[in-house]
Amino acid sequence: MSKTEFVYTTYIETSAEKLWHALTDGDFTERYWFGHRVASDWKVGSPFRFTHPERPSPEGKVLISDPPKKLAYSWNGCSDDLKQERTSRVTFDLEPRGNIVKLTVTHDNLDEGGKTFLGISEGWPMVIASLKSILETGRPLPADLATNAAREQTHA
Amino acid sequence: MPKPEFIYVTYIETTPEKLWHALTDGNFTERYWFGARLRSDWKVGSSFEMVRSDGTVSDAGEVVECDPPRRLAYTFVNQSDRFRNEFPALATFILEPYGKLVKLTLTHEGFAEGSKFFEGISKGWPAILSSLKSILETGQPLEIPYAALKLDS
Repeated sequence: MSKTEFVYTTYIETSAEKLWHALTDGDFTERYWFGHRVASDWKVGSPFRFTHPERPSPEGKVLISDPPKKLAYSWNGCSDDLKQERTSRVTFDLEPRGNIVKLTVTHDNLDEGGKTFLGISEGWPMVIASLKSILETGRPLPADLATNAAREQTHA
Repeated sequence: MPKPEFIYVTYIETTPEKLWHALTDGNFTERYWFGARLRSDWKVGSSFEMVRSDGTVSDAGEVVECDPPRRLAYTFVNQSDRFRNEFPALATFILEPYGKLVKLTLTHEGFAEGSKFFEGISKGWPAILSSLKSILETGQPLEIPYAALKLDS
């Protein structure tokens, strides 16, 4: 069993219900998740799929759906080379604290040193930063952040 | 066993200059850093302190690197009996502009294996940096209850 995991915690001024909606509604994810729409009926065992007009997107199955507290899904990589790697798992824990929600994203069961791990370690901080911005200010971070940062990374 | 190291990346809609000010101005840090005023003249080798509202020093160390508005590094360790004998680990902030955003990368390293202070900072930084992002983007810091950090668990 791989021990490789990525854990990211942030605090957002919102309600657990609004945050749950932001994580599970395709119209909403498209706005802050750099164009990726999510779709699922969010029942345990059901498939979920992200789609993007130009880029490959992850998909998997719903593992835990306990609104508005805990959501988990399996995660199969976006592109052909990522599909060679094991199916990983993403868990969102939402803990209300007064007028704030503590959000912890845990992405585990990753191939050690794999491309999925490298990709998601770059990706989650951007996605979660944009999620926090849209919930607190009404505006996501610019959609070209993902592609610009990816370009920097390639040229580094 | 690898030595403990904490890395946190976030993206903030601001300028490197404003973010630098937010990281180094005591009046500003007091608003979002659980009331802590940072005190230093920010010269390499100078002392660095976190000062509570009652004037006592909670954490102390020294400035290691200061290259505004790009890189800031300092050591510090909490001055309570529980932590004061630990080696003062190094916190490095890297500010990189991305269009109208700044990518902020914090690396906190140099802890001894099994460091108790490492456990504390791993819970503290996400809250402090979340509140920093909020105050720069909305004008208001977060009111995170200190208990939410679960520092004792």
